[in-house]
Amino acid sequence: MSHDERGAMPGARFVDPKILARIGNLELLAKTVVDGFINGLHRAPFFGASVDFAEHRGYVAGDDIRRVDWKLYARTDRYYIKQYEADTNTNFTVLLDVSKSMSFTSSGAPSKLEYASYLGACLSYLATRQRDRVGILTFDSDIVSHVPPSAKHFDMVLHTLDGARAERPGHLVAPLHKMAEHFKRRGILLLISDFYDEPDAILDAIKPLRFIGNDLIVFHVLDREEIDFNYKDASAFEDLESREQIPVVPDSFRKQYRQLIREHINTLSTKFSESRIDYAQITTDEPLDASLFRYMSSRERLARVK
Amino acid sequence: MAFLTPLLLLGLGAIAVPVIVHLVQRERKQVIHFPSLMFVQKIPYQSVRRRRIRHWFLLLTRALAIALIVAAFARPFLRQNAIAAVATSAGAREVVILLDQSASMGYGDYWQRAKDEAAKAIGNIGTNDRATLVLFSRNAEENIRATSDRGRLTAALNAAKVTASATRFGPALKLAESILARSTLPRREAILISDFQKTGWAGSEDVRFAEGMTLTPISVAAPNAANVAVPSVSFSRASFSNQERITVTAGIANKSSAPATGVSVTLDISGHIIETKRVDIAPNAAASVVFAPFTLSEPSVHGIVRTGNDGLAADNSFDFIITPSQSVSVLIINSGADNAPSFYLAKALSIGNTPTFHVETLPAARVTPESIAKQSVVILNDTPLPPALAGGALKSYVERGGGLLVVLGEHSTLSAGDASILPGMVGAIVNRMDGRGATIGFRDYSHPVFEVFKAPRSGDFSAARVLRYRAIAQPSADSRIIARFDDGAIAAVERRAGAGRVVMLTTTLDDSWTDLPLKPVYLPLVHQLARYLGQYEQTSAWYTVGQIADLTTLFKSRTDRTVVTPSNERLRMPADTSSSLELTEHGVYEIRTAANASGRPDRIAVNLDPAESDLTSLDPAELVAAVTGHATQATATAAGASTELTPEETEKTQSLWWYLLILGLLLLVAENIVANRLSVNERFS
Repeated sequence: MSHDERGAMPGARFVDPKILARIGNLELLAKTVVDGFINGLHRAPFFGASVDFAEHRGYVAGDDIRRVDWKLYARTDRYYIKQYEADTNTNFTVLLDVSKSMSFTSSGAPSKLEYASYLGACLSYLATRQRDRVGILTFDSDIVSHVPPSAKHFDMVLHTLDGARAERPGHLVAPLHKMAEHFKRRGILLLISDFYDEPDAILDAIKPLRFIGNDLIVFHVLDREEIDFNYKDASAFEDLESREQIPVVPDSFRKQYRQLIREHINTLSTKFSESRIDYAQITTDEPLDASLFRYMSSRERLARVK
Repeated sequence: MAFLTPLLLLGLGAIAVPVIVHLVQRERKQVIHFPSLMFVQKIPYQSVRRRRIRHWFLLLTRALAIALIVAAFARPFLRQNAIAAVATSAGAREVVILLDQSASMGYGDYWQRAKDEAAKAIGNIGTNDRATLVLFSRNAEENIRATSDRGRLTAALNAAKVTASATRFGPALKLAESILARSTLPRREAILISDFQKTGWAGSEDVRFAEGMTLTPISVAAPNAANVAVPSVSFSRASFSNQERITVTAGIANKSSAPATGVSVTLDISGHIIETKRVDIAPNAAASVVFAPFTLSEPSVHGIVRTGNDGLAADNSFDFIITPSQSVSVLIINSGADNAPSFYLAKALSIGNTPTFHVETLPAARVTPESIAKQSVVILNDTPLPPALAGGALKSYVERGGGLLVVLGEHSTLSAGDASILPGMVGAIVNRMDGRGATIGFRDYSHPVFEVFKAPRSGDFSAARVLRYRAIAQPSADSRIIARFDDGAIAAVERRAGAGRVVMLTTTLDDSWTDLPLKPVYLPLVHQLARYLGQYEQTSAWYTVGQIADLTTLFKSRTDRTVVTPSNERLRMPADTSSSLELTEHGVYEIRTAANASGRPDRIAVNLDPAESDLTSLDPAELVAAVTGHATQATATAAGASTELTPEETEKTQSLWWYLLILGLLLLVAENIVANRLSVNERFS
C-alpha cells in the first residue's frame, strides 16, 4: 500500500494483508474486511441493492399477469407491469487461477493464491450481502473445481477457496473456452489470475466469456517482486511451472525486466479496456480493503446491475 | 624440445581456471523460484548466455595464447640434434676447425682420434652454419673455405694426412681469427684439435680473438707419451791413406719421464748396416753413440741412423748425405824468398778443417800464370805484382772466378794497368805511430766476411792497433768499402770482377804494421777472407723440414732439374723459374739435371724438426686463455663433447621464449579485437 493511496482516503483503516493472513477463517476475514470497508465510508455509492419500485411498462403478451399493477389498471384501464430497481438473482462467479505460478510469494507476504482467495472471499461476501448468487470455478490448465452460483453456496465458495492449491502448470485458453460454453446465464464473472501469457492470447481466451453479456471483472494479481525485481545475487531462476532454469544476473537487467512487465500490464489494461472489461492490477502487499475500495470506486457505475 | 624451467609449465593449468570457475559457480549458485521466466527469456543479455560457449574459436585462441605465454616463461629450447636439423638463423655458427697435421700427430693413434674429433665437429654443423677446415703444422692452410656442405668438409678431412712439419699454433690461430673476424654469423667458434705440443706455442704469438669468438680445444694427447728420437748427427773426419774416414756420432734423446734402456741404435750407410749399438738413456735426457769410422768411398753417401720402436716413427730415423770434405787452395805470394811476412797467415790457414786450406807460398819472382790457375785464392802479401802475372793474366784469373786478396804494405806497388781489377789506386803510406795507432772502427757486418762478427762479443777489433796503412786513392765506383779505420780511412775494400772477387786490405797481415795477428779476431778474419774469396759453400749433410733449399746455389749451376721427393713425387724445375725448393717431407730428395739424367743424382737429406720429437703437452686452457683473454673458457677433452652446449647456453642462443611471448601477446590482441567486434555485432543484432 502506497502512501498516496492512504492519503486519498483519510480516515480509512486498512488492514495489512499479513495480518489478514493470520485469520484462518475466510468468512470472518471477509466480514472483517467488507464491514470495516463499508463502515469506513460516509456514503456507499453502491448501497442501493433492494426491491424498490423502478418504473411501469406496458403489458405485452407473455408477461406474468401476477406483475400487472391492478391499481393502475383501475385508474387508467390499461395493463401495466411493475418493474423493480434491483434484480437480486444475479450470478456472481469467481474464476480463480490456481496454476503453479500463483503459489509464488516473497518476503513474508501472502502468496498470490492466498491473496486471490481473500479477494474472492471478500467479493463473494459482498455479493451475498447483495443477495446475489455466488459460485466459484478454479482452473489451471483445466477446470479444477466448480461450485455453481447459488444463494446458498457462499459457504461452499469459501470452502473451495480455502482448499485451493496451486500445483500444476496453468494455461488460460483451454479452461476459459470451456467456461464460456458453460455459462448460459449472464452474470458477473470475477477472474483472478497472474496472466503469464501473451496479451493477445489472454484476450482471445477471455473474450468468449463476454459473449452472452457477462459482466467481466479482471483482477491481475502480482507479487511486489514480480514488478520490482529487486533480487541482488546472480542466481538461477527456475520457472515454477516449466521447471526451466536460467542463470540470471539481476543487477544487469532489472531495468529491462521492469520495463517489460510494465509494458505487459499496460498492454493488458489497454486491451481489456478496449474490450470493455474491467481490469485492475493489484499486488499482494497492498491492503485488501484498499484494493477493494480502489476497484469499487472505479466501478461506481456498475453499482446497479442491469 | 626441452624446457629450462619445466616447473613453470604448471602454469598451463591456468587455461582451465575460467572453465573451473564457471563450473564451480554453476554448482554454487542459488535457485530462485519465479512464477514465470517469460520476461527473463526475452531479455537479450550477455550474462544469461555467457555461461554457454558460443565462440569456440575465441576460447581456443585464449587458451593458445595462455599456453604460449606459459611456455615462454618455461624457457623452451631445441636440443642439439634438433638444432642440427632445424638450425635457426639466429643461432648460425661460423666454425673454424683447426686440425693439427704436424709430424707429432703421427704418434700412436693421435691422428685417427683427431680425425674422429674433426668428423664429429663437422657432423654438428647445421644447415645454416658454415665451417672452414684449416690444416696446420708449421703453416696454416685454409683447406676448405667456409661452407655448409658437410660432404665437402668430410672429403677434405679424409684427404688430409700427417705431414713432416713442426707444430706452430700461431699461424693457425691467426688464420682462424681472420676467418671469424670476416664472418657475419652470430656465433663464431674455433675448434682446435691437436696434441698441444708445448714447442708449438712460445706464448709470445700476437694472436688475440675478439670478444664473442670462442676457442674450443680438443686435445688428443696421451699422458706420458714416450718417445726416443735421433735429433742430430755429427761427423769427424780423418785422412787415412789419402782416403777420408768418417766417424759418425749420433745424439739420442729420450723424451719421456721413464728411462729408456737397451735402446738399439743402428748406423746404415748406403743400405749397409755399419754398426748397431745399445744405449741406456735417463728420463728426459740425451745420450750420444759413436760408431766405428768408415771410409768414404763415393762422392756422396746416404746414411741413416735408426733407433727406437716407439709410437712416433718419423723421428726414429735420421738421414744424412755425407760428402768428402772440400779444401780451399791458397797461394801466398811474398815479395822475396823470405816467408816471414806470411808466417802468421800461413799458420792461421793451416788450422781450419771446415774447410781445410791447402796453403802454398811462392816468392813473386817465381810465380807463373800456371801456378795460380788451379788456386782458389791468391794472396799478394805486401808484394809488387809478379812479373809473370802482368799483362792481364791476373785479371783473367779473377774474371774466371778466382779470388784475390791484396795485402798492402811497404813493398806493394801496382801499375795502373793492373789496377783495372783493383778496387782503387794504392796511395801513400799513412803513419799513425804518433799516438796509440789506428783501430778498425767500422765493419760492414752485412758483408759475408764480417757477418760472423755481427753478434755481440763475437770479435773485438778495437783491441788491434794499426800503426801504418796505405791510403787508397780514387776507389772505383763499383767497389764496396767493407771496413774503415777510426779516422775514416779505408781499411778494407772489395770489388767484383767477372766471376771473381778482389779484396784489398790497406795494412799488413803480419806484425810489421799492426798487432792484429796477435789478436783473437785474426784467425776467423783470415778464414772468412779465404772462404769468401774461394767462394766456399759448406754443404749441409741434412736439412730440416720446412727449410728452403736454393738448388742453384747448392749445386752451383742453373739448369733444368727434376726433383724426386721422398714420396716419389716428381717435380720439374725449369732453369728459368725459381730454383727454391721447399723441403716438406722427411727423407731424401733426389735431384737430376738434364745433363746428368742417367748418372748418380744429387741428393738432399731432410729430417724432422728436433722440436717435434718433444711430445710434452701444453695445457690447452693456457693457450685458450692466452688467445681469448678468458681464463675460464670451457676446456673440452678428447672425449669429444666439444660442441655440446649446456641447456642454458642453448636456450640463450635460441631465445625461443621471446618469439613465443610475442606470439602469445599478438594472439591476445587479435582475440581482443575479434571479441570486441563480435560483442558489438551481437549487441546491435
